[in-house]
Amino acid sequence: MQDSSIMERRLRPIYDCLESGNNKKALQEAEKALKKTPNILCFKALKALALLRMSRDEEADTLVGEIAAKNPSDDSTLQVMTFCYKEREEFSKICTLYSNAAKQNPGCEDILSHLFISYVRVNDFSSQQLVAMQLYKLKPKNPYYFWAVMSVVLKAVRGPDSKIPEKRKLLLTLAQRMIDKQISENKIDAEQEVQLYLSILKYQQKYAEALDFLEGDLGRKIYPGAPVELKIELLKSLDRWGECNVLLKDLLRENPDRWDYHKDYILSVTKLKQSSVAFDGADCTFEQCYEFLCQLIESGARVVRGPFLGRLELHHTMTDLNENASELLGDFLELLVEYFRKFGDKACCANDIILFLNFLEAERRAELASRLLEVCEISSTKLPQNKEQMQKHICSLQVSRICGAHALSTEHLAALYTAFSLHYEHGTTAFGSDLLPTDMGPSDSYALLAGELGLAPFDVQIKLEIIFNNGVNDFLAVHVMYDLSLKLQTSEHLIEALCLLHYLLSNSPSNFHAKLLCLQIYHLIGCGWGAHKTSESLEMKYVQLDSMGYLHVSQLPLIGIPSIAKPWYDSTLRFFTSSYKESLEYLAMCYKFGSFSKLEEFMDFRDKLSNSLHFLLISTEAVLLEFVCLCGLYAQNMAAIKAMKIVPSQDRIQWDQVTDNRDISVIVKWNAQTYPNADADMKRESFAQDVELVRIRSMLARIICGCVEAITHKETKNKDIETMKQLKHSWTDLWLRIRNANYKPTSNQYLVNLLPSRLHGIMAAPYEASIIHLIEMVLQIEERHSTAKLSCDALCDDFNLVRRLLCDTITEYNESSDLAWKRRNSQETIVNCIEVSAHSFYQLKIWNNR
Amino acid sequence: MYPLTETYGLPFYMQYLAHWPEYFQVAESPRGEIMGYIMGKSEGHGEKWHGHVTALTVSPDFRRLGLAATLMNFLEDVSEKKKTYFVDLFVRVSNKVAINMYTNLGYIVYRTVLEYYSGDPDEDAFDMRKSMSRDEYKLSMIPLQHPM
Repeated sequence: MQDSSIMERRLRPIYDCLESGNNKKALQEAEKALKKTPNILCFKALKALALLRMSRDEEADTLVGEIAAKNPSDDSTLQVMTFCYKEREEFSKICTLYSNAAKQNPGCEDILSHLFISYVRVNDFSSQQLVAMQLYKLKPKNPYYFWAVMSVVLKAVRGPDSKIPEKRKLLLTLAQRMIDKQISENKIDAEQEVQLYLSILKYQQKYAEALDFLEGDLGRKIYPGAPVELKIELLKSLDRWGECNVLLKDLLRENPDRWDYHKDYILSVTKLKQSSVAFDGADCTFEQCYEFLCQLIESGARVVRGPFLGRLELHHTMTDLNENASELLGDFLELLVEYFRKFGDKACCANDIILFLNFLEAERRAELASRLLEVCEISSTKLPQNKEQMQKHICSLQVSRICGAHALSTEHLAALYTAFSLHYEHGTTAFGSDLLPTDMGPSDSYALLAGELGLAPFDVQIKLEIIFNNGVNDFLAVHVMYDLSLKLQTSEHLIEALCLLHYLLSNSPSNFHAKLLCLQIYHLIGCGWGAHKTSESLEMKYVQLDSMGYLHVSQLPLIGIPSIAKPWYDSTLRFFTSSYKESLEYLAMCYKFGSFSKLEEFMDFRDKLSNSLHFLLISTEAVLLEFVCLCGLYAQNMAAIKAMKIVPSQDRIQWDQVTDNRDISVIVKWNAQTYPNADADMKRESFAQDVELVRIRSMLARIICGCVEAITHKETKNKDIETMKQLKHSWTDLWLRIRNANYKPTSNQYLVNLLPSRLHGIMAAPYEASIIHLIEMVLQIEERHSTAKLSCDALCDDFNLVRRLLCDTITEYNESSDLAWKRRNSQETIVNCIEVSAHSFYQLKIWNNR
Repeated sequence: MYPLTETYGLPFYMQYLAHWPEYFQVAESPRGEIMGYIMGKSEGHGEKWHGHVTALTVSPDFRRLGLAATLMNFLEDVSEKKKTYFVDLFVRVSNKVAINMYTNLGYIVYRTVLEYYSGDPDEDAFDMRKSMSRDEYKLSMIPLQHPM
């Protein structure tokens, strides 16, 4: 007792220091404690942890190795060692640590459960299963048993055996039997256990068994909260459309506004009609279906969208099956107009109509657009009389734009823009008083539409851009200012749109749609400071840094302002790295709470984040930017490069796993639809190009780092030179392949399109040859080749080329009549030129220092 | 991005998902956009066993469709099935629209919690409650007289 309190008294200050981040003090305290009791492993482990947090990795590693060799088994040492390994991301060593501890304390439940979680961290499902069963034998508690079952399931669906159908089947049978046994012994008692059982049955496509269990006494008793969607899904999988239909009708009577029910209901009618099997109480014909929808409309106490959307869905389903839908439901266009009459005053109406636009013949879309405009009774001489009428007008304009009604001449577009601006102004004055700062303005959508018009396909010239320009190059900015002031009298639609959006934001400062459009415009015109300010006001955080990062952070490299880029890179990378580490703990949490249903979701989410292309891009850009910005003391630079932890010989990116997490629906847009999947196709195309971009950038980072190592590491020189030769090959091959792929920039037809990939700018800049020349020079000098002079000359030629390109770009830009439009491209060229030279210069600097 | 919709850190969501997965519901539009979501939990002992609304939000483009009420119904349903005595929630005293909606759904202001929301300045919260069927005599809905 006395011992443990003395221990506690000595441990406490060290823990406190570590918690408050005072690692130096923690180290001192640990050393003090070790002087008194040199054999206490926990003090040593704490010393190691403090060293790790002070980036004294080598000393820490030695200490951790010493402690591990002594096979610690006391709880506090094990925990501190776990922290150390977690910090080093050496998760498998935690398994060894606890496995050794468990051998020394065979009956210790606590150590075994830690051992289980340590296997969870490394996805070792087989070991998980073994340990869970050991735990269950030790303490026959249900959770342990189900940990084992879940481990078997994971083995079947995610382990190496999941690819072999026979093994997968065998494992799933085993998992089912394990639960069957518990059921027969009356030992199943938690909702999540039932859910796990159902999912095992579903994996085996034993839908009938699953449904029977769900509906049986035990299922109902333990899982009373089972969502009805589960039953619908099972009935659908079993082709029991009659029961499905009756169930959905009941559900729709209760919730007529549920779109998912409507879709499944209409699907069930279609299936019943096709199979010509009657079912008591079910609707087996389209006539009955129509009748039912009409009943829902008539009997509803409140007018809701569901049944009206249901009729539209029924119409197109019938048309798709070559049934005469118009005879039963009337003309499709008229149905859409009727929908608009009923719900045009809801902000979501345009989106609802768009859902069905593809089912309206292309040649009738213009007719729809003009019918909707007619219905809202607004003309050039008549303004909306109330908010509802105004919202209808907005909706009709949004639909018109999607229908392609804005493909107009310059004059007409300008007139339309003016009209929208006036409507916005009228709406704000008439209906926008008493707004809270957090409210969206009732007429904001006019301005958003007008904003989109700003980038109509005619020449765009800018007057006010300079206000937001912080000057990548002040020298350049003076010229721009002069040039721009000369051009003031020319067209300025994009900037006018920007002004309107800012005006809107002064009225409704919370309208994030407007902010997103501003952000897009700022990036289009290469205006980094404006984009940065707008992004700040959007307060993007956490997972938005991944899903929305493409709108701003991915664009920062071509802005060329490190002081803006660095903090964004840092916060983005902080999010990814902390999420990656934390996500392991969420998996552990799922086992703790028995939430097996979330385990796989969490695992998928973890993979999605760690394979995010945006993450890969930003981590690479951060490294390259750090190289470009290296200055000061040689030793400090070398330490900084070492901290980047790049292994030049290793490509650590799993390219086939890379995911596109961009949420392209985040900016509201009303682009005319060319064809149904146009957006998805563009996203795919832009993703493919961005993956190539990251390939180039990450290889560049490895090359730069490889050059540094080849020049500075004498002891590994031969190996480093070999690596550089390899990289030279890979670089050449990569460029050859990408050039042959002949990528084209994605369309910039609309304001809200993905911005073209930076790949094209990089390909136009002299990266390929300069980097080859740089590698050759490093190789030839380090290998003392007589041809070294030639490669030095080649590099000098590169510098001259870059210089010329810089001068030409700046001169051409200054002489351009359309400054803002050219700015993004010119800036990109300038930034790329500076970067490529900076990398070469840096290598020369290292030689000089050496 | 919307100031009245709190964006929490990942650990917060993950912890809720791991602990109370049944208390999450997302509403999707026919086009697949997220219209809103609700998250909550159940906690407390004895007659304090209750459901709690942690976050409820509806995207500005999908307001005035009764979506918040649908999501609240969902959460109350889950709480009913868990045999809780009541459901409670906290709301900014300035959020008139939300307070109105909760009142229409049968919630009463049980107490005021002083300076619950940190900010500049801090803001008070109403702790609003509604009894579930298990609380037959609606004992959990007798308001406290003094703020906390």
